[in-house]
Parts: sequence; C-alpha cells; structure tokens
Amino acid sequence: MIKNFSFTHGIYAYILKALGILLIITLISHVFRDHLDIINIGLIHIIPVVIVAIHGNTKATIFITILSVIFFNFLYIPPLYSFKVHNELYVWSFVIFGIVGWIITIQAKNLYTQTKQNEMRESLLNIISHDLRTPLSTIIGTTNLLLYNSNLDEKSTKNLLEDVNYASMRMKRLITNILDSTRLSNGGINLKFDWCDFEDIVGVALEEFSDKQKDELLDIKIEDFRLFWGDNVLLKQLIINLLDNAFKYSINNTKVTLDILDLNDTLRIAVFNQSSHIDETKLKNIFDKFYRLEDSNDISGSGIGLSICKSIVGIHGGEIKASAVNKGILIEAILPIIKKANLI
Amino acid sequence: MKNYLIQIIEDDPSVKKLLEITFKEYEFNHISCENKKNAMMMFLSHNPDLLIVDLGLPDGDGKEFIKQVREISKIPVVVLSARHDEKEIIAALDVGADDYITKPFSVNELLARIRANLRRNISGENISSKILCGELEMDIASRDIFFKNEQLKLTPIEYELLKYFLLNTNKTLTHKQILKEVWGVGYQSEMQYLRTYVNTLRKKIEQNSTRPNYIKTESGIGYRFCCNN
Repeated sequence: MIKNFSFTHGIYAYILKALGILLIITLISHVFRDHLDIINIGLIHIIPVVIVAIHGNTKATIFITILSVIFFNFLYIPPLYSFKVHNELYVWSFVIFGIVGWIITIQAKNLYTQTKQNEMRESLLNIISHDLRTPLSTIIGTTNLLLYNSNLDEKSTKNLLEDVNYASMRMKRLITNILDSTRLSNGGINLKFDWCDFEDIVGVALEEFSDKQKDELLDIKIEDFRLFWGDNVLLKQLIINLLDNAFKYSINNTKVTLDILDLNDTLRIAVFNQSSHIDETKLKNIFDKFYRLEDSNDISGSGIGLSICKSIVGIHGGEIKASAVNKGILIEAILPIIKKANLI
Repeated sequence: MKNYLIQIIEDDPSVKKLLEITFKEYEFNHISCENKKNAMMMFLSHNPDLLIVDLGLPDGDGKEFIKQVREISKIPVVVLSARHDEKEIIAALDVGADDYITKPFSVNELLARIRANLRRNISGENISSKILCGELEMDIASRDIFFKNEQLKLTPIEYELLKYFLLNTNKTLTHKQILKEVWGVGYQSEMQYLRTYVNTLRKKIEQNSTRPNYIKTESGIGYRFCCNN
C-alpha cells in the first residue's frame, strides 16, 4: 500500500518536472542549435530520461524516453520536422536512450528495496530491543535476587522462579516469531506443502496455551473434516498467532471462538474475541508489520504475530481481513482449496 | 526400583550441567562424555540403560553414533536437538533413535520422556499376551483390541495402524516409518492416508480429537502413541 501511494502521488510531480526540463532543453537546443552539435543536443535529451528513471518506475521511464526520442527526432534529426529518419545511425541513438533509461530504472528499483529492507530491519531492531528486554530484565532481576538473597521463603522463591519461567517462555515465542518473520519476508523459508488435518494442527497449536485458556476461554468448531493441501508448520503458526492475538485483546474472562469451515472451494478460518470498541479504519492496518492498536503498550507482544499471519495466508494464496462485529474483533482467513485428497 | 544408568553425550557444558544436576536430584545414575569417540568406549564398558545424545558433537554427527549403537543394542536413545531442525530429528529417528527433545527443554518434559522410554524397554522384555495402554487393551493372540472393555470396531487399516502404535508406545514414530510399516514400502510419502486414518482413529479412541491423550502429534515429524499406565 505504501508503495502504491508514493508512486501515484509522486508520479505527477517528477513527470511534470521532467516534461518542464524537456521543454527548456528544447528551447535551449533550438536557440543555440547552430552552436551545439547534434551529439550534444542528443546528450541533453537524455537528461529528462535520467530524471524520471531514478524514481524506478518502468512505465514512467518508457513514457519519457519515447517523448524525448520523439522531440529529438522531430526537431533535430534530418529530415527536420518529420518522424522519418534518413541515417540509420540515429536509430542506434534512440536505442541507447532506452538502454540508459532501463539501466537506471533497475538500479533505482534495487535501491528502493534496499531502503525498504533497512527500514524494516530498523523497526525490527526497535521491537527486539524493547520486547526482548522486558522479559530479560525480569529474568536478570529475579535470578540476581535469588542468587544473593538466601533468606527468601520457599513460597516466594517458587513465585519468583515462575516469573522467570514465564518470561523465558515469552522470549522463546517472540524469537520464534522473529525468525519466522525474517524468513518469510526474505522468501527463504523452505515451504513444505503436504496434506494437513486441521484438527491435528489445532491440537498442536493448543499446546502453546495455558490450561485455563484451553478449558475455559476457548470454543472450537471444526466442521466437515477434509484434508487441506498446505504447509503444516506454517498453518500451525497461523493458528497460534491468531489465538494468541485474540487472547491478548479479549476482555478479561470472555470466550474466544475459533471456527474452521470447509466451503468446498475455500477454507474459512475465523477467530473472534470480544473487545472494547475498536475503530474500523484502524483494523485495516492491523496486519501491517509491527502495527499495534493504540493504547496497548501494556499488552505484551510486538504486532509481529498478525503480520506473520498475513504472510502465511498469502503463501497459501488466500486473504485475511479483520472486522468489527458484535462488540468484538473477527479475523477471517480464507484459504483457497487448491487440491483435493483422493478418498481411499 | 532399579537404579537406572543414563549415559549423556553432550558437548555444551551448561546443558550437560543441567542434565547432571537433574539426574542427581531424581536419583538416576549417570555418566557423561563430550564426544563421539569416548561415547562408544563408555557405552561398551558401562552398559547403560538409556542414552541421551546431542546431534551436533565436536567430532562428528550424533546420528552416526546412534547408527553404530543400533547395530549392537536395542537401548532407548533420546536425541537432544535445536529447534527448527526437523530434518535432523527425522534423520536421527530414522536411523534408530526412539525419541527426541528440543532445546530449550523443560526438565519435566525430559524426565517424562526418559521414564516412558525406560518403561517401554522393560515391557518389551517380558513377552506377555496382552498390551495395556490407558483404557486400551490388545490381545496379541486373538488380535482383538478393546477400548473401555468393549471390542473396538475398526476397519482393517485402522486396526493395523492402532496395532503398530500399541507395539511402539511412547516412542516418536516418523511419518515415513508409520507409512512404511502399516501401508508398506512404496507408500512412504502418501501423507493423506496417514492423516485421514489418524483422524478417524482419534474419533474412536480420543475424548476430544483436538486435545488427544493417546495419539500425540509431533509437528513436522510424526506421531507418538502415549501410554501413562
């Protein structure tokens, strides 16, 4: 979305600029045409191409290259004021216009993705430093206390150790998510598509949650069992992250529901949790990397979870959306069924 | 209760220390070494009851050691491995390891796995006519399987699958192993069969198939049939 925005917004500005420069160039070339050689005039006509190409938009580059070539051809290449070309050598000049534009566009595109990656890395570092530090400070503080305080009673010792345990589990989950996230965004993850049983996947995912969450705070409905063609490990992570998010943002002691429904051509995974009023417009950004609902600083986690969900759903060719319904948040993932298992 | 001897093969000092303290606390005898070379000598001279093997050893792969041990002994082998290393775990199980545990691990989980594997080894020694597992009971001679004292109605493949599970309880079985043993050679990658039959079998023996007590899924690796007799 950000990408499109900057392009549509910026496209007019720099194309207009390039057009203006092309006009000025034409003017200068025309006035000084007897002093400038045809080679120099040709070279200055590359300037607008370069100006547009550094923005990395292929279409815009093609557009301005053609325009430049037309101006150059029409006004300066004999026969003048016609699109005919007598000397074939000039056709090569036009080709060179195109090549210059093309090389610069590609370089600009590389640069653009690099900058994006750097931004991503930076925000990732911020998240890591904040979200890993919090549990780490619990661990360091508590272990120090335990090491140098020999007169603690057994009950408080156990209590403190439970804190350490909880903090380290949190760190473990965050690290898993960070690793998954970087692998998913670099496309480096080894996908392993195979037949998946969602009852099985949900069962494994549930092991990540506390007994209270499983027994009292969760309603699961899995209808019409059929095997699904997908990546087992990623789908497990999808369910874990969706449930984790729902538990985090649900009103205390209200139930979270998980529905998995086979709709013949698609599979629908829906997770619902009750929540205090949420701005519908903000829900759109919920899957963006490292986005977090406002006023949620007290809730642990980094917003990395839902962005991973989006990647996982994307890998399976599906779509994910969040909406506000019935005083809560409903997150729906629709995965296309691309392959049906042979019944035995 | 017999005092079991556990041999630890682990090069990381902090993990080794954790294991040693745990075993001391829970009254298991233990011996430990850091590399493959000493491991074999120690194994032959001490004749331990269970092995804990780290896969990444300084002088080579722990899998090779497991392979060598399997040629001469049926001793339970529990593999220690880093997470996200499913391929390594599967390879270790396929060469003969019985179970695995990933780092970071909780001591409780490790002890549970060790106890289960020690138990399995003994029950293998006394050949009895019945296998008991929770509320399941299999009569080896008549091939009947009972659940809550009633005969289970199973299709032939469900029966073969459950029998294989009952003969290999508390052991991590890879998808490939199960497919090969139950369906036969040539079916090793037919995952849809396995997933389907595990699902139908769960419906017959589990109270809640998303919270199974018997057939536990080892994500990306295989299944374990758990018995807590």
